Amino acid sequence: MEDKLQHLADRRRLTQGGGGEKRVAEQHEKGKQTARERLEMLLDQGSFIELGAFVQTNLGDAGSLDIKNPGEGVVAGCGTIDGRRVYLYAQDFTVAGGSLGEAHAAKICRVLDLAGQNGAPLIGLNDSGGARIQEGVSALDGFGSIFYRNTIYSGVVPQISVIMGPCAGGAVYSPALTDFVFMVNQTGNMFITGPQVIKAVTGESVSSEELGGAATHNQTSGVAHFYAQSEEDCIRQIKELLSFLPSNNLDEAPLSSPREPALSAEELVTIIPESPNKAYDVREIILRVVDGSEFMEVHSGFAQNAVVGFARIGGRPTGVIANQPLVKAGCLDINSSDKIARFVRFCDCFNLPLVTLVDVPGYLPGVEQEWGGVIRHGAKILYAYSEATVPQISIILRKAYGGAYIAMNSSSLGADLCLAWPTAEIAVMGPEGAVNIINRRELEASENPEQARFDLVQQYRAKYANPYIAAARGWIDQVIDPRETRAALIHGLKMLETKREQRPQRKHGNIPL
Amino acid sequence: MKKFKVTVDGQVYEVLVEEVQGSSSAPQITPLEIKTASPAGKKLEAEKSLPQAPPVPRGSSGGAVVSSPMPGSIVSMKVQVGDRVAAGDLLLILEAMKMENEVVAPFSGIVVEIMAKNGAAVNSGEPLLAIG
Repeated sequence: MEDKLQHLADRRRLTQGGGGEKRVAEQHEKGKQTARERLEMLLDQGSFIELGAFVQTNLGDAGSLDIKNPGEGVVAGCGTIDGRRVYLYAQDFTVAGGSLGEAHAAKICRVLDLAGQNGAPLIGLNDSGGARIQEGVSALDGFGSIFYRNTIYSGVVPQISVIMGPCAGGAVYSPALTDFVFMVNQTGNMFITGPQVIKAVTGESVSSEELGGAATHNQTSGVAHFYAQSEEDCIRQIKELLSFLPSNNLDEAPLSSPREPALSAEELVTIIPESPNKAYDVREIILRVVDGSEFMEVHSGFAQNAVVGFARIGGRPTGVIANQPLVKAGCLDINSSDKIARFVRFCDCFNLPLVTLVDVPGYLPGVEQEWGGVIRHGAKILYAYSEATVPQISIILRKAYGGAYIAMNSSSLGADLCLAWPTAEIAVMGPEGAVNIINRRELEASENPEQARFDLVQQYRAKYANPYIAAARGWIDQVIDPRETRAALIHGLKMLETKREQRPQRKHGNIPL
Repeated sequence: MKKFKVTVDGQVYEVLVEEVQGSSSAPQITPLEIKTASPAGKKLEAEKSLPQAPPVPRGSSGGAVVSSPMPGSIVSMKVQVGDRVAAGDLLLILEAMKMENEVVAPFSGIVVEIMAKNGAAVNSGEPLLAIG
């Protein structure tokens, strides 16, 4: 017995040690923590239950302590974060570069299955050199098995990918299939083909960081949703995100006690400039409406003409979507459409109500946009809002013109409660454009077209650019004082708390991709 | 100083390149911030440091080019060549979508070149000015 206990203790020590002291030291030199250190930071103390700790491929020496790749380069299991269960895996770069072989993939698939079956979020900490080439096609099958499960459990449990090291080639598609991607600056990299291959094929020189670093993917490509300065910062953000999410699609998001915004609601009346062609930061409005003025922005660096993120309103986690007049006039375009649609669909999957703040001048005109497929991208917003069955409240703050007004969760698309501020201008198009069309002959005949246009624009604005025509038709339920916004949202969400909506049976819809 | 070999039409030139500032490989890194126009004069509390700017194309003057975010017309150029600007400073006003859009400096530096004229119509991606 003594011998056997000693053997077990040695085996545990070896497995815990990952790739050994030298490799661990190298990992630390790169500013990276080891897989186990990361899990320790992320999970409640002592909550980790490891699965498949002694998995190894070379069964020939399974009884001996000559373990070639402890844990096969990945640590997998379950634990709790703020007392709530999560399943997770952390690739161990110190063991064979965290490379993914058959056994490595099987451990990941195991926790994915358990997460799905038990209805708890899955978190994957990625830090891997890629496929374990020595295992050949088996490694490829490993990737495929992971993608399959990411897809099967999509919309069942929240799936979070964290890029804390290299993630290249086929490996990038697992994060891409999950709900949220976090990237750590300077250490996290993602690309299909790396700088060397690009250099060889196209001759372009680019560094890993420029090509697929955290900044690039959070700003340019939109592949990543959250940007972290360091691993500690990243872990903190993951915990914050989880605090808004239910554990699965049948669960409700965790409620907390309501807190008043830290910023004054009085200021809501002064944020929107008097002149309709001046910009403002819509986040100033969000912060004055949500609990504690706390807003966790998603995709904060990407397609900044739209703002999406999580907040609590009256203690209830809510998805907030807004146009951002400060960037590109807050117009809708290809990237902001993708950003909004993806976020709306996530919230709908996980029972998070949607609050949409509208100030949109229209879809961005331009050859680049049309050729880039703004029609099919823009259609995603329509699809996502129409498809959503969670409680939906929209508030028109200022401009709501044309197709973009319809897209931003209008009552036509199924918003349950449509509110407007007195500053709202709901019309088929902006006054300038409308006057140019409606009064074309009059303007041509005028001796002073500039003055005539100015007068007509003023008339049009007074007559049509207000919330009362839409309200008269019943498309706007209430026109509210901006200072009443928070109360209206709290009451509205309460009113819609038990919303149930039946849709025709179907296999699945066909969102325009 | 770094030495490069440049081949033009088969002719090999040796070029010495002096580094002006910062470290070698990484592109010039400055946090990118959205300018927050808070009427109440309050700093947006939820604002986190946003990711760094990705690499920017270089203008003929060697400065980093600030290009037009959308099609529109320049209604007011707020800087001149030689002006020193900090990240987030207002560079010009671009009228687009019937809105006066503020184009702000994505990073700090000196305005070395102005490509866009007052009143000119610009397309998205068109170079407006360069900051060196």
